[in-house]
Amino acid sequence: MRRLKLTISVLLFSIICLLSINLQAGNLSYSFDHLYDNEAAVELLHKLHKTYPNLTELRSLGESEEDRDIWLLTINNKKTGKDTDKPGIYVDGTIHGNEVQATEVCLYLAYYLLDNYGEIESITKLVDSRAFYIIPIVNVDSRSRFFTDPGGYDIGRTARVPYDDDRDGVADEDGYDDLDGDGEILEMRIKDPYGNYKTSPDDPRAMVRVKPGEKGEWRRLGEEGIDNDGDGRINEDTPGYLDMNRNYGFMWQPRYVQSGAGDFPMSSMPTKAVSEFIITKMNICFNFAFHNAGRLWVRGPGSKLAGMYAPSDVKVYDYLGEEGEKICPEYRYIIGGQDMYTTYGDFDEFMYSNLGIFGFVGELYSSRKESFKAHDAPDDQDSKVSYWGGTKTEERLKFNDRLSQGQMFREWKKFNHPQFGEIEIGGWRTFTSRIPQDFMLHEMVHRNASMVIFTASQTPEVKLSLIGVTDLGNGLKQIRVRAENANALPSLSTKIMKSGIVRKDMFKIEGNGLEVVSGGTITDILYDRVAYVEYRPWLVFTNVPSFGKREIQWIVKGTGTVTITYDAVKAANQTLKVKL
Amino acid sequence: MSKLVRIFIGGCLLLGLVISPISAAAQYDYLSPEKINAKIKDISGKNKDISKLHTLAVTPGGRDVILLELGQKKGNNRAILVVANMEADYPISSEAALKLADNLTTEWKDNLDNYTWYIVACANPDGYANYFSTPLYTNFGNAKKVNNDNDDAVDEDGPDDLNKDGFVTMMRYKHPEGLWITVEDNPFLMKLADSEKGETGLYRMKQEGLDNDGDGEINEDGFGGVNPGLNFPHRFKHYTGTNGLWAASEEESRGLLTFAFDHPEIAMVVVLGRNNTLAEVPPSNNKSKATKDKYKLPGWMARNLGIDPKQEFPISELVEMGREFTGNPNLDEDTILRFLNVGAAVNPNKRDLIYWEKITEEYNEFMEEASLDGKRLSSPEFSPGSVAEWAYYQYGVPTFCMDFWTLPEPEKKEEEKDSLALTPEKIENMTTEEFLALGEEKIDEFLKSSGAPSQYSAKMIMSALEGGMMTTKRMAKMMKKMKKEDDSGGVDETDETLFAMRPEAFLEWKEYQHPTLGTVEIGGMVPYSTVTPPADKVDELIDKQIPFLIKLTEKLPAITISNVEVEKKASGVYKIDAWVTNSGLMPYPTYQGKRCQGPTPMIVTISGKSLKFLEGKERIVIPILGGSGGVKKLSWLINGKDGGKVELKISGPSIGSHTQSVTLKGGAK
Repeated sequence: MRRLKLTISVLLFSIICLLSINLQAGNLSYSFDHLYDNEAAVELLHKLHKTYPNLTELRSLGESEEDRDIWLLTINNKKTGKDTDKPGIYVDGTIHGNEVQATEVCLYLAYYLLDNYGEIESITKLVDSRAFYIIPIVNVDSRSRFFTDPGGYDIGRTARVPYDDDRDGVADEDGYDDLDGDGEILEMRIKDPYGNYKTSPDDPRAMVRVKPGEKGEWRRLGEEGIDNDGDGRINEDTPGYLDMNRNYGFMWQPRYVQSGAGDFPMSSMPTKAVSEFIITKMNICFNFAFHNAGRLWVRGPGSKLAGMYAPSDVKVYDYLGEEGEKICPEYRYIIGGQDMYTTYGDFDEFMYSNLGIFGFVGELYSSRKESFKAHDAPDDQDSKVSYWGGTKTEERLKFNDRLSQGQMFREWKKFNHPQFGEIEIGGWRTFTSRIPQDFMLHEMVHRNASMVIFTASQTPEVKLSLIGVTDLGNGLKQIRVRAENANALPSLSTKIMKSGIVRKDMFKIEGNGLEVVSGGTITDILYDRVAYVEYRPWLVFTNVPSFGKREIQWIVKGTGTVTITYDAVKAANQTLKVKL
Repeated sequence: MSKLVRIFIGGCLLLGLVISPISAAAQYDYLSPEKINAKIKDISGKNKDISKLHTLAVTPGGRDVILLELGQKKGNNRAILVVANMEADYPISSEAALKLADNLTTEWKDNLDNYTWYIVACANPDGYANYFSTPLYTNFGNAKKVNNDNDDAVDEDGPDDLNKDGFVTMMRYKHPEGLWITVEDNPFLMKLADSEKGETGLYRMKQEGLDNDGDGEINEDGFGGVNPGLNFPHRFKHYTGTNGLWAASEEESRGLLTFAFDHPEIAMVVVLGRNNTLAEVPPSNNKSKATKDKYKLPGWMARNLGIDPKQEFPISELVEMGREFTGNPNLDEDTILRFLNVGAAVNPNKRDLIYWEKITEEYNEFMEEASLDGKRLSSPEFSPGSVAEWAYYQYGVPTFCMDFWTLPEPEKKEEEKDSLALTPEKIENMTTEEFLALGEEKIDEFLKSSGAPSQYSAKMIMSALEGGMMTTKRMAKMMKKMKKEDDSGGVDETDETLFAMRPEAFLEWKEYQHPTLGTVEIGGMVPYSTVTPPADKVDELIDKQIPFLIKLTEKLPAITISNVEVEKKASGVYKIDAWVTNSGLMPYPTYQGKRCQGPTPMIVTISGKSLKFLEGKERIVIPILGGSGGVKKLSWLINGKDGGKVELKISGPSIGSHTQSVTLKGGAK
């Protein structure tokens, strides 16, 4: 009897637990205080989809070179319409396999939007009116290996497409070697009185360059490895190298111009899968591609070949970029090709120049954040020199000691190298330098996701209204309507209007027995200036600009009610009934 | 109207016209894409032991792009890739590819002992299928749906055969803004009015058709598609509507690219189509900075080195600078060019052209022997994104284009001028030295008399000739073009030539009541007329010219270890010197091939029992070996058993392999 009671109470307890979980559905609790490896990331995507089946769609766009699925999570409230009928925002992460925390921003964004749906009004409204396309991991192969294979923070940018880097007839035959078997590829150094480095007087773990006349102590030998192919060089033909962010199709340049370009545009499986997906979703207005590092919002042009961006589009970029510098206060908004380096075949350029879709590359984090100084200490970082480094090694080592309890830096240890003899192995560990420590993650993902959310809120929302109907006599009536866009993003970029890849917005007037005599875009309503269309006057093709309006005029003959429609690829359609 | 506008409009109209075939006269029975594929399968079926079929792609129209592999060792020999009719505008090229396949399985079967042939006889089957459809009109695109006018409908306004004669030709109608006028003494031809000669335009010309969607434009969004022949990644052109959204976006081009990169044994690419790079060396199509020899350093670097950032340095000096800066003595020009962000090459590498000139010479002799050397119109320049330019500039292998036929050049009408004066014809037959010997004054005179633009001075031409940037042949060609513009009276040269040869290729202008344009006249050139040789000549043209493809295989690099010397330095210590020689005409790889890192480099290996290498490596990469006797010496100091055997081997997927054995013995040399 006692046993039965116990069983019943256990049962009851279980039911209550189950119930409470059910009650909790819609309130999944996930923490963003650690990095999700690929399996955990995909699991989270599946859980999000399972928990919010009406708001999400999860599918694989295809497989990578190593047969891993490239997952796409679409957030769209089906009850409020098809995804392609709403302005779209595209977000991806980790096209470079070692830039792992980009995935976390994507996951957090998805989680935050879904978890707060129905809780925060602006989020609910956003999810109801926009479509989000999120690919948390583009480079599924190298990111997966980043967590499992011996590596380092700079290792694994490539797609897993073999290439003969040293042009010796064999591909990928001399990669890194984890000599000491600690699961990481760190730095090698050797004692050498003729070396260029000596131990830093401020920290025995750090090295500083010797000045002319000083005696050297160390020669740096690069990443851990041996001469696997006997050609006298070390690590000169590592696995890969195809940089997917140089493999996209706009003004793609071959390898001898752009390293990592691949054999031809979209030759890697993920770039092919992603580009083929994107051209089916021309409702996308803006894209974010998250990378590390530098704390930047980068826009194109990436090279001179891309030509000039349309001034009206640049205004849009500037508005969002300047806002982004405040949402993420340490970020700088820059132009890739001018302020950083020339790139061909990158995703960002493909999106804007090929498809007319605005976008930013978000460069997450910088080891500058690993500073260790009092509030009143002078800032000795020369902020103009580099986006990437900046904090002195000795100071970073203090950060390592006091804030990560020494987890970021591996002390130098002696090792007997088959070629060099006694060397030392040590240095900054894999999950450092480009990647923040776990405790810094939450703010990073939240600020960056907030930038996406803000930008999504700036996708075009067009309101169609009647300016007026004027009787011109002889049965002729002039109808004027206005389409207003209160947001920063135009319904179509100036670029896309010129390159002609997407159908332009259509303003159409229809009615029973209606005769449309003329139609056109009002260029200045005060002066009565109209750009008339020569044919099919009931149909006007144009766009609605950023923070602006488009006014259309028709002169018609007829009576009763006419229907005026605004039909756009990247903005929600509108209808207006007007009584003549 | 400015000349530029006229040229532009003329160009636009010609696009619709020039490449226009079929006359009412007897037609050659060209095989349709379906029949070509059936024929390929038939050849393969009859030669199972030496053939294999590969499907490179399935087109948007559901057709297979088939590659026929022919070889005794199927892919283990070096290979020649033959691509025919890639731009779908040249029927004879597919027939020639089939004939080549036929011959290789019969009378030329011996060639398969040394070479594998990859033959794509119909590289753009969707586009080519248009040639067999009724009504006939010029359309080379595949069956992909493209919204050319970015409106609310796709492929809604294509051409219409209004007069039901089976051809979509041209409509002419009088219009206040007309640019065209009729040609005196020829009621079939039209020409652009030349305002400078006091001519006033009368007619508008449009392709035969209706404004199907009522937007005021005629035929602005027809069926098809993207031309995969313009979809390759060298000089790819964006925003055209017909070339694809990006390079390699089409199944046909992507399929071919993938096959090529999967088959490093391809040593040469032959493109059969409208271009010809054999009669003349490949044209330099750009005068971009990529061809100059002096470069600036990046600003930050110049400043770091204390050099004036505006100063330009010859590439050789920059290589020296780079070697010192990096401490890498092997740093080469190609690396420096990449570092300087010079961009892609747009002109054939000068060092490759030396060999091309030789092939051109042989080709022209070959054509003379075949009695096919009659004067004919030049083949067109490469289209942007062509497979041929990709094969040379990015794939990096020797690439040759054969066109079989162009319209014969019409007899000269002009009266004999001063027989002593220089003419392009005379210059053509001069050597560079002979031409330079004429002196500046005479050359200047010649330039003026042939209507060369004023910026072409004798000095400039002379230095271009001296520097090898120009040849007398190319100059003659340029001059002829300039002259023709002047002499033609405004009639398109192709029109005139075609009319002279085959007047039935032009249809009489006949009135038609057009629903939106009113009274129009329909007539003009039958589509494809300029690209289809007279029917009775087709077989002969093919049979006489394809043997040159076999000749081309004989020009490929032939790399051997030509000599090995062993010198005993001490007991068990030997110095080995080996010479690697290229006895073929062409270098390996091409100089552009080295720059673009296309072809797999040659590797020399040395092996033997218990050898120790005191100097030199077991495996040595030879980045390039010049053609026609190019030689490279390699040396090793080894420790091995006296009397031991050492084997040296040179190999590479597209050069084959060659071995030499030596015994470790003997005294000093």
